[in-house]
Amino acid sequence: MSLTLLTGSEAAAYGAMLARIEVLAYYPITPAFPAMERMNKFIEDGEMNTRFIRAEGDHSALAAALGASLAGSRTFTVTNSQGLLYMTEVAYHTAGLRQPVVMAVANRALSAPHSRFPEQGDAISQDASGWIQLFCENNQEVLDTILQAFKVGETCRLPVMVNYEGYIQSHTQEEVDVPQLAKVDAFLPFTRVSALDINNPQGINTVTSPDLYMDYKYHQNDAMSQALEVINNVAAEFSRDFGRDWSGVIEGYRMDDADHALVTMGSTVSDGRIVIDALRAEGKKAGLVKIRSFRPFPAAAMRAMLKKVQYVTVIDKNIVFGSGGALGNETKAALYGHLSIPVKNYICGLGGRDFRPDELKQVMALSEERAKQTTEYEWFGL
Amino acid sequence: MRKGGELVKMTLKDLPQQDLFGPGNAGCRGCGAAIAGRQAMKVLGARTIITMPASCMATLSGLNQKTAWSIPFYHTLFEIAPAVSSGIRASLEAQGIKDVNVVSWAGDAGTADIGFQSLSGAAERNDNIIHVCYDNEMYMNTGGQSGSQTPIYAMTSNQQKGKRTGKKDMLKIMVAHDVGYVASATISHPLDLAEKFKKAAAHDGFSYIHIMAPCYRGWNIPTDQSVATARKAVESGFWELYEVVDGKKTRTHEPSFIPVSEYLMSQGRFKNLSTEQVKEIQDAVNSHFGRKEAK
Amino acid sequence: MAKKLPIVPSAKAGSMAEAPSGIIWREQHPVIGDKCNQCLECIMFCPEGALKLENGKVAVSLELCNGCGTCAFECPQKAITMVLEFSGDRGIFPLKEGKS
Ligand SMILES: Cc1ncc(C[n+]2csc(CCOP(=O)(O)OP(=O)(O)O)c2C)c(N)n1
Repeated sequence: MSLTLLTGSEAAAYGAMLARIEVLAYYPITPAFPAMERMNKFIEDGEMNTRFIRAEGDHSALAAALGASLAGSRTFTVTNSQGLLYMTEVAYHTAGLRQPVVMAVANRALSAPHSRFPEQGDAISQDASGWIQLFCENNQEVLDTILQAFKVGETCRLPVMVNYEGYIQSHTQEEVDVPQLAKVDAFLPFTRVSALDINNPQGINTVTSPDLYMDYKYHQNDAMSQALEVINNVAAEFSRDFGRDWSGVIEGYRMDDADHALVTMGSTVSDGRIVIDALRAEGKKAGLVKIRSFRPFPAAAMRAMLKKVQYVTVIDKNIVFGSGGALGNETKAALYGHLSIPVKNYICGLGGRDFRPDELKQVMALSEERAKQTTEYEWFGL
Repeated sequence: MRKGGELVKMTLKDLPQQDLFGPGNAGCRGCGAAIAGRQAMKVLGARTIITMPASCMATLSGLNQKTAWSIPFYHTLFEIAPAVSSGIRASLEAQGIKDVNVVSWAGDAGTADIGFQSLSGAAERNDNIIHVCYDNEMYMNTGGQSGSQTPIYAMTSNQQKGKRTGKKDMLKIMVAHDVGYVASATISHPLDLAEKFKKAAAHDGFSYIHIMAPCYRGWNIPTDQSVATARKAVESGFWELYEVVDGKKTRTHEPSFIPVSEYLMSQGRFKNLSTEQVKEIQDAVNSHFGRKEAK
Repeated sequence: MAKKLPIVPSAKAGSMAEAPSGIIWREQHPVIGDKCNQCLECIMFCPEGALKLENGKVAVSLELCNGCGTCAFECPQKAITMVLEFSGDRGIFPLKEGKS
């Protein structure tokens, strides 16, 4: 194993390179663009045998990736925030056409007011899009998850979003083990599936009547539900082949005897581990639930993990206006009717507002206090 | 077409009988777009992949598990046909498949309005695709509203007193993209159209063909008049047939210059035109062709 | 039970010809007369691909024709006549050949 210092952007680029993508299409945006530029360098240096489409906009970038996927290629794109919002129409369409496009998203806050800083609101805006949404806690996980994403997507015939936070991950170097290409080839073989096949013509996406539309949607949702197991299986296979276990859709960290669970996703998970260790050192029975797959949402697995806890604190780096944090809402929905534990949901770190481990520890203490008074979601760090 | 080194004009007998698009399509009677599609496919042939944004043509092309296309056909989102075509071309290149035409085929809105960005992008990248605009000068799939390709004074469902501004010249705009092949065509001149598709298919790079395709509903003409109306547009000089190869423009058909009123006044959408407005349009045609006045 | 469907929403190539919709609302159809000299223009101008050269003669498929009349109007020989589908003053359409 050889460790290299890589930013999250570079880790994403390495992932795409190792996956031997045939077509890359993107439109620049901050903070996703360094991943794009790294891939262009790989292509220019001959390290990557990939056709690059210099799209004139994000909407077209995903459209071009979709076209290539329909024609049978493994394709990839990178974006975030405004770019992702602009792609939304194509994102839903890609999922409906069941194309396993993989997209890295360097999560960034949405305008207005204009912000260039990290937040997960962009990914949450796509929560009903039909994309599998995986969140990574560090740069190694970014690289490894991109490899897994192709396998998951191609198995389920669904597109996959791999999320890592802007700057916190995209621009921060960490030690990353770049796997050997031969090992990746063995883990991630490619079987060409061409919906647009010149030798076997068919019409794609004809106007669909009420007779069939709902059934198509049933099957699409069914594939999404089955993805829970596929993500787990692929993570297990990856762990066997590469010795790194990212534990599929959800991970419990020190949850065995925990009475207070911290639930979160993305970079806050790695901070969470530090905080949980500190609380444990103080004798507190704290544990962490990492949501790796936000879509599909692992509700049953989450319930199993939270069965014995007294407190649940959910940290959301997003706000669903008039409703709360997206992960908080999912957690409440997962527990409702099964477990009656107060769920405290905190909105933190929006638009790049710093949210440090000591603050996270503070929130957990506050949460136990506040849970006695209200189960409404609250804001932290204003 | 060349036979024994000598340039021979194609005849209708040279075009294949087989229809790769058409039979059973759900178009309205006399659909100009469907006629254009049939004519073009005679030249493009079976090694063609077609992408088509939201439009009448995409709608009439298929329903549920049935389609009127015998080649790979993909009904895309409204704005993205050229972009998906670029993606398809990239994928074919990656797979080493070289003998396939990739065609994006859009209405006037899917080309000149909402689809303009992706069209311009693909043209500027000089991606090896053919973009076809079939132009019925309105948004017919949504009931006939005005768009940038609606000509001045034409009545539409949302401008019942007639459009106030003129038609955006897409051909000039595409020529300005400095692409290798740009042509206008129409359904009343199928051999002219066929020759242009041949050239576009042979051109290695981006090509653009803009087909005037009358629509009996939007233009308020009898169902048997689509082809005749297109012919009047050409013969009056209202719709010039030409091609631009590597920047050099050649007229491919010399109009006989029937009065433009014969074209305009045979359509219900122009029935409110005043004599002055007809003259204004006639003057514009005259000045375009450098003529003193119409016969 | 959800219907069994292809993973990618898709349609069988060329399959619309199997169940054309135009004939449902067709009001008239072409009859090709003796003056036809097989110039093939009508074939090029048909939106439905309903006209074909068969055994050296232009033939119309009444499965496909939706009765626009373009062929009759465009025919340089004036060899095509459009014949109304319905009879009687309120226009009764035959549901099947021979029945009304
Ligand atoms: C993003 C989006 N906006 C609007 C529409 C609605 N829409 C569908 S087709 C159409 C008009 C198409 O006009 P044109 O391209 O001229 O083709 P035509 O139908 O006239 O043949 C519109 C407005 C849509 N499908 N998608």
